[in-house]
Amino acid sequence: MNGSTTASTTLAPTPSRPARIGILGRLAYAVMCLTGLVLAVTGVGTFLAGKAPMTHWVLMAHASAAPAFAMALAVVALSWSGSTRPGDAASQSGGLSRFWFWLVLLAGFVVLLSGVVPMTPVFGTHGQHALYLTHRYAAMVLTGALILHLVSLVLRPKSSR
Amino acid sequence: MKLPLELPLPRALFAAALSAVLLMGPHPRTGAAENLKTESRMPFAHNIPLRDADGRIITPPKAFDEKGQPQEPRANPYSPAQTCGKCHEYAVISKGWHFNADRGNAKAGRPGEPWMFTDSTSHTQIPLSYRGWPGTFKPGEIGLSDNDFLNQFARHFPGGGPGQPDKKPDPADPVTRRMLVTGSLEIDCLLCHEASGRYNHEARFTAVNGQNYKWAAAIGAGLGNYGGFKNAGAIADSWKPGASVPTNVPPIKYDRARFDGENNVSLTVTRRPSPNNCYYCHTSESAPADGRWHGDRDVHLRAGLSCIDCHRNGVDHLVVRGYEGELKDRSVTPEMIAIRVKLILRDHPEMDKQTAAKLAKPLLEEEQAGDAALSCRGCHSGEPGAATVKAQAGGRLGSPRPLHKGLPPLHLEKLSCTACHSGPFPGTEPQIVHTSLAHKLGIPAPPRGENTAPVIVQPVFLRGADGRIAPHKMVWPSYWARQKEGKLAVLLPEEVAKTGKLPTPDEDDLTRDPYNSTPLTDAQIQAVLEALAADKSKGEPVFIAAGKMYHLQAGKISAEENDAAKPYAWALAHDVRPASQALGARGCADCHAADAPVYFSSIVARGPVAATNSVSKRTWELRGDDEKLASTFAWTFNFRLMLKIITFSSALIILGVLLNRALAGFDTIARKLQK
Repeated sequence: MNGSTTASTTLAPTPSRPARIGILGRLAYAVMCLTGLVLAVTGVGTFLAGKAPMTHWVLMAHASAAPAFAMALAVVALSWSGSTRPGDAASQSGGLSRFWFWLVLLAGFVVLLSGVVPMTPVFGTHGQHALYLTHRYAAMVLTGALILHLVSLVLRPKSSR
Repeated sequence: MKLPLELPLPRALFAAALSAVLLMGPHPRTGAAENLKTESRMPFAHNIPLRDADGRIITPPKAFDEKGQPQEPRANPYSPAQTCGKCHEYAVISKGWHFNADRGNAKAGRPGEPWMFTDSTSHTQIPLSYRGWPGTFKPGEIGLSDNDFLNQFARHFPGGGPGQPDKKPDPADPVTRRMLVTGSLEIDCLLCHEASGRYNHEARFTAVNGQNYKWAAAIGAGLGNYGGFKNAGAIADSWKPGASVPTNVPPIKYDRARFDGENNVSLTVTRRPSPNNCYYCHTSESAPADGRWHGDRDVHLRAGLSCIDCHRNGVDHLVVRGYEGELKDRSVTPEMIAIRVKLILRDHPEMDKQTAAKLAKPLLEEEQAGDAALSCRGCHSGEPGAATVKAQAGGRLGSPRPLHKGLPPLHLEKLSCTACHSGPFPGTEPQIVHTSLAHKLGIPAPPRGENTAPVIVQPVFLRGADGRIAPHKMVWPSYWARQKEGKLAVLLPEEVAKTGKLPTPDEDDLTRDPYNSTPLTDAQIQAVLEALAADKSKGEPVFIAAGKMYHLQAGKISAEENDAAKPYAWALAHDVRPASQALGARGCADCHAADAPVYFSSIVARGPVAATNSVSKRTWELRGDDEKLASTFAWTFNFRLMLKIITFSSALIILGVLLNRALAGFDTIARKLQK
């Protein structure tokens, strides 16, 4: 019981004012948006153009931007999560903005995993196909959530920036 | 039976007219087969009378005549058309894939292995086919008659087609009249269907080599011999126009022991020929001579399957070739329609012939749709759009469903199954391969070497008509020709030999290299071209070899790449390697490394000239791919591991953050609940 109490104490939201997002966090967010744009144009764009799956130069551009996006997303997750806690009244972000942020992380996690697992000899053709579709649709959710999160950041009151 | 009763009027009228013609008109050669069938899976014991070309039962004279004098068992050669055709639909079979190349009743389909017209003295090697596959010549286009074709290829040609023309031989026609002496080369059913393994291909080869066409089937089957026989070809040669047809050609001296008391002969035949029978014409050996024991052969045969388990056929003998998309190339023959009309009328006595004729073709086409499942993909994975559950489900004959773990599904759209699973494992350069049709395998001869013409290489990864990359065999044409007004007229070896400038190897060379595979030098080519140039009125002489066209320019020899010298390629499908030996089994680098054969193997044109003079191309170039794209894509695979590590690590970090938040959320909820 004691151990549980200690863990709860550690995980409990601190009532103090959340830390501001540092330079690294902001830079990571910018990189994430830029590489996300490349990924969305190459990936979602190819799909919307009816030319999926990606091949050749488009695929290479997609795969080149992917690691930078993955790293940036991880840094954003670490640096932004403290200031966007759901249900935290002291958070710098609004409720909707926080929702989009966590959706970005969740969808991003699915996108990364469904992008890299097919490169391992784990799943057969059906599994690969399922992962491919998962990657596609999770990426669409990610794109939408990222855009909305960005919009919510841009539109929030100056005082909270 | 479900009968589609609605057909467009023109098709219906055509079908009705066609079936009326077929039903009313007897076949000119064999007449209709007897309508007696066992319809059992048990093979029928073929203890049957042999018949000669006129349909008469062959009855060898008794061992002693009335005066007690010994008699030899001589009689006319047996005719497969009359003997087998008594019960089997010979006329229908004669339109089958192995016999119909010149008949035009079937679509040519995917380009296949051509006949290679080869002459070692003039270094000629020309891909021939009656089917008109792009890159091949029809025999007539280079001045070869059907008879010339048979002289070259009857050794591996099973008969019918050009061996048995529809038109009766005309004594006035210098080409066809020879068959009045040599007889026609009927389809030799036992060539494939003899099951005892005693069919003597070498004896048949000797027979057809002497143009003893009428005798070849009996000789090959070992039913007898022709002691003291003169080649029918020689008799036909000496037969001058105007003279009466020679009739002194001797009959077959039969093996009396093969005949029972009622003059029946017991033939061991099978509906399911063994792979060994197929191998006589379809051996493809890339480990020639003493290296053959290293070969594993086809995994399907090792698993106990037979060639005919996939390459099936009905009575029409339109053998399933087994490539994807073949269905659009298959056709229902009028003969099959006629047979089906009979069956429909049997089962529906109330129906009239015209209605039955309307129904037959769609029914046959529907049945044929099931053939789609006899491709690699169809058998192993099933064809989702196929008409029958059997074809949809896949896994036929116990075939394992492929897992393809770690292989992005895109590969299954861009590659044929054979790309990864068929032929020898690719190396930096393709291998030499010998085939039965091109190198006379199956016939005893001095060992064929690496440079024995025609030099065929495999695997070369090209795109098929369906856009998928598939391994191919490839051969480069080589011949002398005259060019006039942009058109090439091929010169046959005899004509080139008349120049007297072709190098003749000395005795020692021929002992060492009986196939005269020493390449021609530029000086030798120039000498022949100069000799041919003496008569320029017929056009400029040229020599096509190893991807280039050689010609004289201001008294010197010059060679450039030319469309006429482009290689002919055809898809290969065997031997199939198991999954663990497939391309990609070792990882992506099998195909996506900077030196992967699928993109970067060097294909050097092979022909009777020094290799330094040959055209050399990389695989990507032959396919028309973008080199930068291919090499950059291969280069990116150097970073593949880094990509995986970064992505996995990032995903783990994000998972940690998400879990942390989730646990904190649960904790908050728990606290609220406690309050």
